[in-house]
Amino acid sequence: MATGDLSLGRAQARPGALPEVGLVEQCRQGDAQAFARLVALHEGMVFNLAARLMGDAEEARDIAQEVFLQVYRTLGGFEGRSSLKTWIYRIVVNRCHNRHRFWRRRHRKSSQALEDLTLGEEVRLARLDAGRTNPYEQVRRRETTRLVQDALLALSFSHRVVLVLREVEGLPCQAIAATLSLPEGTVKSRLARAREALREALLSRVSKDGWP
Amino acid sequence: MRCRRVRPDLSAYLDGELSPGAARAIALHLASCRACAERVRSLGAASQLVGELPTLACPDSVSAMVLGRLEVESRGPGLALLFRSFRGARPVFVPSLIAAAVVLVAVLTAALLLDEGPLPPASVKVLGQVWDPRVPPYGTEGNPLLPSGDVSLPRNRPGGTLPESVLAAMHEGTLFLETVVARDGSVSTVTLLGGDSEQARPVLDALRQERFEPIRLRGRPVAVSVYRLISRMDVWAHLT
Repeated sequence: MATGDLSLGRAQARPGALPEVGLVEQCRQGDAQAFARLVALHEGMVFNLAARLMGDAEEARDIAQEVFLQVYRTLGGFEGRSSLKTWIYRIVVNRCHNRHRFWRRRHRKSSQALEDLTLGEEVRLARLDAGRTNPYEQVRRRETTRLVQDALLALSFSHRVVLVLREVEGLPCQAIAATLSLPEGTVKSRLARAREALREALLSRVSKDGWP
Repeated sequence: MRCRRVRPDLSAYLDGELSPGAARAIALHLASCRACAERVRSLGAASQLVGELPTLACPDSVSAMVLGRLEVESRGPGLALLFRSFRGARPVFVPSLIAAAVVLVAVLTAALLLDEGPLPPASVKVLGQVWDPRVPPYGTEGNPLLPSGDVSLPRNRPGGTLPESVLAAMHEGTLFLETVVARDGSVSTVTLLGGDSEQARPVLDALRQERFEPIRLRGRPVAVSVYRLISRMDVWAHLT
């Protein structure tokens, strides 16, 4: 039943099929189908962002659920001053930040790696361009992914957020500033420091493990 | 241009967010400074690596999970109360919270008033007044003590014993009697607790005449209650 609903949601979730404003309005009126479309439109982005910020697939799954429940409950308060996507980004970042603080108070290091998911993705990619990517290249790519995610998790949360929003989500500094409710100048200087920190973290890992 | 001044702007240079003049100045510096050129290259490479991270997909369907949760909540009372958010629960909880607050304030006020006001000694006095006439002080004739480790059994004064003739005149039978020995050693009351009252009358009169040595408890004369069982049994037998 769940799978059926999802495939329906995904089938209808063609970007641009319904203007965002109309979708939000339908959701506000309690249209479950419209909300399913809204979730299907953004769930990939929400999960990927949460997974990259938390470095843990289970956490990311829980956070994705909480984010959409919060979206559902607070959609009435969404004023449309920012885009729906920016608004959802903000909820994801806040949720991840709260969870990060929660675990830091309990001295937990991130436990479940993303390698299984990444591996699945690699397999899918390998199938897509079968014959063009050799096994060595696959292993190298997987090792690089592990190294980069590892370095990313070594950064402070605030540095990680700006880097992931900039490089993974491809947001311009202005949109990052809107998401984090920060001045644009602060975002730029934080991004510069985050890149420096990432470079340091990667260099220390490469010198330790060797570049794959 | 010095390296120290260039470095903070390298990130913005990579993003192409500098003014044309500032960008040109940095480009000139990079052309002449190998260290800074290498730094820009590695910064760009690090950022690019993050950008090339594969997109992760949730193994489970997020929308199915979310819609499942919402469906549980929409069923109304029951389990939904557990899952309901604070915002959703407000119409249910706020009125009861107000009532709870009113009760709490009332209880606390009453507790404070009772705590600060004078204790009601009047009620203690009333109790005392009610109880004093009923229960006379311990050790007086109205509330005699029983012989125990501290209170010895009263002994008859010389000449104050029960006459033998009284016992001899008694018919067959058993009497159970209580004698209250007053603080001065005289007999205060004699009560027949069991036995034939007609037969007991001469015995009761005789017992009232008894005299005892006064009993003291820690130097204070006290009245003592004595219980006695007087029994007469005649046995007839043929003597051979």
